[in-house]
Amino acid sequence: MTVAVMKTKAEQSFAEGFNEMRATLPGSAAVREAREGAARRFEELGLPHRRIEEWKYTDLRSAVKEALPARTGDKLAMTIADVIVAIGPLAQIDAHRIVFVNGAHRPDLSSRGSLAGLEVESLASALEDAQATESALSGFAGQESNAVLALNTAYMSDGAVVRVHAEAELEKPLLLVNIRAGAQPCFAAVRNVLEVGAKASARIVEAFVSLPGAASDGQINTATQISVGDDARLTHVKVAADDGSAVTHLANWIARLGKACEYRGFQLTQGINLARNQIQVVFDGEDAKLDLSGVFLGRGGDHVDTTLVVDHAVPGCESRELFKAVLDDHSRGIFQGKIIVQSVAQKTDGKQMSQALLLSPDAEFDSKPELEIFADDVVCGHGATCAELDKDLLFYCQSRGIPTDVARVLLIESFIGEAVALVEDEAINEALMGFARGWLSK
Amino acid sequence: MLEIKNLHVKIAEEDKPILKGIDLVVPKGEVHAIMGPNGSGKSTLAYVLAGRDDYAVTEGDILWNGESILEMAPDERAAAGVFLAFQYPMEIPGVAGLTFLRTATNAVRRKRGQEELTTPEFMKLVKQKAGELSIDVEMLKRPVNVGFSGGEKKRSEILQMALLEPTLCVLDETDSGLDIDALKVVSEGVNALRSPERAMLVITHYQRLLNHIVPDKVHVLAQGRIQRSGGKELALELEKSGYAEFGEKAA
Repeated sequence: MTVAVMKTKAEQSFAEGFNEMRATLPGSAAVREAREGAARRFEELGLPHRRIEEWKYTDLRSAVKEALPARTGDKLAMTIADVIVAIGPLAQIDAHRIVFVNGAHRPDLSSRGSLAGLEVESLASALEDAQATESALSGFAGQESNAVLALNTAYMSDGAVVRVHAEAELEKPLLLVNIRAGAQPCFAAVRNVLEVGAKASARIVEAFVSLPGAASDGQINTATQISVGDDARLTHVKVAADDGSAVTHLANWIARLGKACEYRGFQLTQGINLARNQIQVVFDGEDAKLDLSGVFLGRGGDHVDTTLVVDHAVPGCESRELFKAVLDDHSRGIFQGKIIVQSVAQKTDGKQMSQALLLSPDAEFDSKPELEIFADDVVCGHGATCAELDKDLLFYCQSRGIPTDVARVLLIESFIGEAVALVEDEAINEALMGFARGWLSK
Repeated sequence: MLEIKNLHVKIAEEDKPILKGIDLVVPKGEVHAIMGPNGSGKSTLAYVLAGRDDYAVTEGDILWNGESILEMAPDERAAAGVFLAFQYPMEIPGVAGLTFLRTATNAVRRKRGQEELTTPEFMKLVKQKAGELSIDVEMLKRPVNVGFSGGEKKRSEILQMALLEPTLCVLDETDSGLDIDALKVVSEGVNALRSPERAMLVITHYQRLLNHIVPDKVHVLAQGRIQRSGGKELALELEKSGYAEFGEKAA
């Protein structure tokens, strides 16, 4: 017997909005079917609430009060100079840029030409093609209860489908930029598909930023499917940096890793009022290495939740996780890290660490490590710390003439820097620290 | 000149008094040594001079060049010329040594109304001063004091002292943890900074350091008070007799 749950205003609006939009959303008949299925699933599931264990700290059902109108195909007047402003420190990186505005691809604002070693197609056009559609929709098996992803499948308007050729070494990073712009608040759903061929190496950065003058409200739902081929190396970074006072950012990363590959993932979240970064990584091939790290910066009433699941389904893989939060005012940071080591996954080496720096007595950090270990020849560990700025270190800096506010910034930057350094690409590191410094200086 | 007048200090959150009426005058150009048994309050005196807020001054005053420094924050005192070389210098992971040194040097110069150094000017200065202390500049690219041996940390404190150009140098057990060679290098560094404009307070347990950094006066701090003062021979006397006589005197 199912109990009919009252739909919230937001849930109803999402359902109604889909009805209105369905005809205009891109994709072949197969895609339309998938969207319908997803919309139905979302209607059944509703927005997740705190009685669902993995959402216990982030009750989306009560937090998301309304569904902003979805907009697609918007041709907002913008120039490349606007893009440079919106991407801030990322403009320093010599990258191949693909730009989306409010969820719509903008070739006029993107880099000309192509980058050797890969193909990029807009999701909107890929969804018209049967084979590409398969790729774009197939990587999400096992996610049937993921309501946020269902919403993404139903609404996805555009994104980038990236295929890095086997053995290719991208000479520049690929930057996939999503810009929130315009005075009208809106909801955008984008999906990226990143396929890195065997023995290839690539750096891909996803950026979710806004243009000054954008509405203070905004909702982004993003899903990225990642597959790293055997012996390939991918550095994958997401920057979600906004200035809006009521921006919601719901993200899914779903990754499958091939044999002996290296996947380095990093997420920076700042200036976002409500964020849920969900990451799932499955080891499909042995001897692979995973390095997942992130920094979330919160102030005011910000609520940033990073929830990840790393599944050691095969032997001999190594996973490392380091997540840091800097929380001020009455903001809240959440880290839920689940590591599963299946019974066949002998010689697994997994380590997880989450750390928070609380800058105010009202800030809160919740850390929930979960280790499900079914193999007996493994090394697994986890740790969590939560502290204020070290008074002795502050005094040491002050005694050398460094004023208190400068000393605080120095120490906070050093705290953040430890995680940023894991990205191991100097230009990207500099850009990430640039964003953090911008947040600190406000 | 440094004037400490009837200074009474306790640990801020507690009622336990540590310094029970310190009177001390250190004129510019002089080096004074403070010796004493463990728990006598030597490090407390050093921290209070630098302005650490874990301690509360309940009575008395500290005057630097005629001005009370009690209301000054630690960074203001640094700008006013006070430098404390820590007994246990701190490691600051994630903050490169050169960045730290440049930030501190320019912060102090700015407060003193001096022009800040450009990066090339600063690098030139650091290379020179580091060379004088046998510190490899490459080591300064690492985070502050991370991976440094005890001796390297102490030398790094003296390098900071050389860069910040203080006029009151307080050295808190600078010799602790140093082997003979490190002691020589550190002492040479300190002696190179002696000048008619500088007052120095050298806090130490052992007489050995004072062979290298020869003091003008020696004071014995025991049970929260300065119980005896004398010339440099007093240090040699203490070597022979120990601190027992000071422990027995009633507080």
